Amino acid sequence: MFKFAFTDLNQFIYMEGHGIYVWSVFSIVIISLVLAFIFYNKQLKKIKRKHSNE
Amino acid sequence: MNKIRKQRLFNVFLIICVSSLGVFFILKALNSNLDYFYTPSEVLIANIPQDKRIKIGGMVKKDSVDRNGTKVIFKITDFENTIEVHYEGVIPDLFKEGSGVVAYGKIRDKTLIAENIFAKHDENYMPPNIEISSG
Amino acid sequence: MLKKLYHQFASPKTYVVLVDKIYPIIFYTSLITYVFALIWGLAFAPSDYMQGNSYRIIYMHVPASFLSESLYIAMAIAAAIFLIWKVKLAAYIIKAIAPIGALVAFLALVSGSIWGIPTWGTWWQWDARVTSTLILFIMYLGLISLHSSFTNYEKADKFISVLVLIGSVNIPIIKKSVDWWNTLHQPASITLTDKPSIDPSMLYPLFLSMLGFSGLIICLVILSSKVQIFNREGNKTWVKYHV
Repeated sequence: MFKFAFTDLNQFIYMEGHGIYVWSVFSIVIISLVLAFIFYNKQLKKIKRKHSNE
Repeated sequence: MNKIRKQRLFNVFLIICVSSLGVFFILKALNSNLDYFYTPSEVLIANIPQDKRIKIGGMVKKDSVDRNGTKVIFKITDFENTIEVHYEGVIPDLFKEGSGVVAYGKIRDKTLIAENIFAKHDENYMPPNIEISSG
Repeated sequence: MLKKLYHQFASPKTYVVLVDKIYPIIFYTSLITYVFALIWGLAFAPSDYMQGNSYRIIYMHVPASFLSESLYIAMAIAAAIFLIWKVKLAAYIIKAIAPIGALVAFLALVSGSIWGIPTWGTWWQWDARVTSTLILFIMYLGLISLHSSFTNYEKADKFISVLVLIGSVNIPIIKKSVDWWNTLHQPASITLTDKPSIDPSMLYPLFLSMLGFSGLIICLVILSSKVQIFNREGNKTWVKYHV
């Protein structure tokens, strides 16, 4: 079950021409998730700062 | 549960029921317009004006595909009726005999002069070697 | 006794204490699960007999589509709780979920569009599945913008809750669109009643990716709900000790 599905790393990135679609979806999803976590953690930090200043 | 809460619970049900009913009637009224494509049988029954662009969907009939460069002639079937399609242009990778297809264009003499072809794939996912062994 | 328990559970303070405790566990387990599932799905799962390697988008697309609907169902449940029991926490949760629901619905639409290019031969078609998902995305956006247009919070909470309930009609429509009308999108591969039409070697990583992604989205909802609570209850003394 855990056999690498491609012959080498280049094939893995290229994916028989479908790599561009797979990797662009991959990057959009990962970047969105990372940005969302950064955004909410920043908001919480801002609130914390406001309260410690009072 | 006290009386006020029961009343509110009833209101929640009412909102859901009324909005479902409303949407149900809207969808009922729009029903055929919500279909993405016609089947070949529907096309033969319905009187479709010559200039109207329509989509016809079904399976690519086995042994009906005649490719000539970027030109392709094939038949769409719903296993009852078939429609011939003429098309020139980019053909999607998944366009294959025996698999789903949607063609978009105008009807001329019971053939569809297609401007676009979309492949419709099914809900099955499996590795290539399994397909061969199971037929 | 029961009444006390219910008041305690519904209090934002208890909620914050509880989620602070479970947050790290959910975050790290689902992060590991999601990373593991994506590596499995993208590098080790076999390619598809029809679609080749482009089918690997499924490991990003299906979790996003699933969550865009689940988050709406969660919002509808919160709306009912708010309208019946007037639990303020439920109203905060609705407001916390809306932007994350919009993000996830956006991801479902974008990943679906990109997937459509190599498989369908088009990135956008107005079939019933695509259109109803777009409506879901627009509903999330509408809820976000509506809330900021109200000056009275109490009124806004009530109005939004009613709207969320009305909009919940769209969820069964999205689910059933591929069966009720003919669409370019294929019927469901995983259903509650039938055997999944996905080979197990592709299904296991898919389940894991759904599990991991769900956990990460729950974490985002927790963070977002804390922002809502602190903003709305900021003048209360307990908030000082829990931010």
